[in-house]
Amino acid sequence: MNVILWALIALGVAFGVVFLAARSAQRRLPAVVLPPGEKMPRTALQQLAGRSLLFCLPLVVAAAGIVTYHGAQVYWDDDHVRLTVTGLLLAALAVFAFYAARVGTWTARDDGRLDERDRAILASAPAGQAPAMLVTLAAWMIGLVETYHGTHLVPSVYLYLIFWSCLMVSLLATFAGILIGYRRS
Amino acid sequence: MAKAQIRNEIRRLRFEHGEMTQQALADRVGCSRQTILVLEQGRYVPSLLLALQIAKVFGTTVEAVFTLEERP
Repeated sequence: MNVILWALIALGVAFGVVFLAARSAQRRLPAVVLPPGEKMPRTALQQLAGRSLLFCLPLVVAAAGIVTYHGAQVYWDDDHVRLTVTGLLLAALAVFAFYAARVGTWTARDDGRLDERDRAILASAPAGQAPAMLVTLAAWMIGLVETYHGTHLVPSVYLYLIFWSCLMVSLLATFAGILIGYRRS
Repeated sequence: MAKAQIRNEIRRLRFEHGEMTQQALADRVGCSRQTILVLEQGRYVPSLLLALQIAKVFGTTVEAVFTLEERP
């Protein structure tokens, strides 16, 4: 199987496990009872993280889809494909930069946009980054070893892809960590 | 060691203070309405600062708003 496709499936399973763990943790807490017809109010940070994830995820999925469709070698050799993918990934980075700037401004101004619970969730959100990146690296390692075990040679393009995938997983894990934090507390 | 849980009387106190809304309380103590909502329902334990601010809004002590409930 295509090594990139294998890595994507592994990542999908990893995010599924994280989602189920979050749902399970939520079920152990007392349920929030709201008046009929009323929805849970969303905080400014929750909205920002949700929108950032909404913008980032399609960009990352599109970039991964293009690389998977064309294959790693075509991606590396074809300037058009490589620039398209790099553009999508830089757009995802720009979304993260916007998110980081907004949060930084709110924190510096201390104008009440972030309360103590928001700050606690913000502080604990990066906890998911390290496990998510470990899963990503493990997926790459297993996929590459299984594919290139016989040749003892791994194409250098994969170093580039490993870097980008770890970076993107790290960004997505930050947004997901914030959203999960609100569901868990 | 017995497990402990913090209970609060915020909902009752809000109604005793002119049916104060969650948003009004949130505005007065400087937090979001969601924080007041999860606090009232026992899903979030506030910091000492927030607990003191809430008690001050209701003109009472922290002990009157928050109580420790021990479970065997």
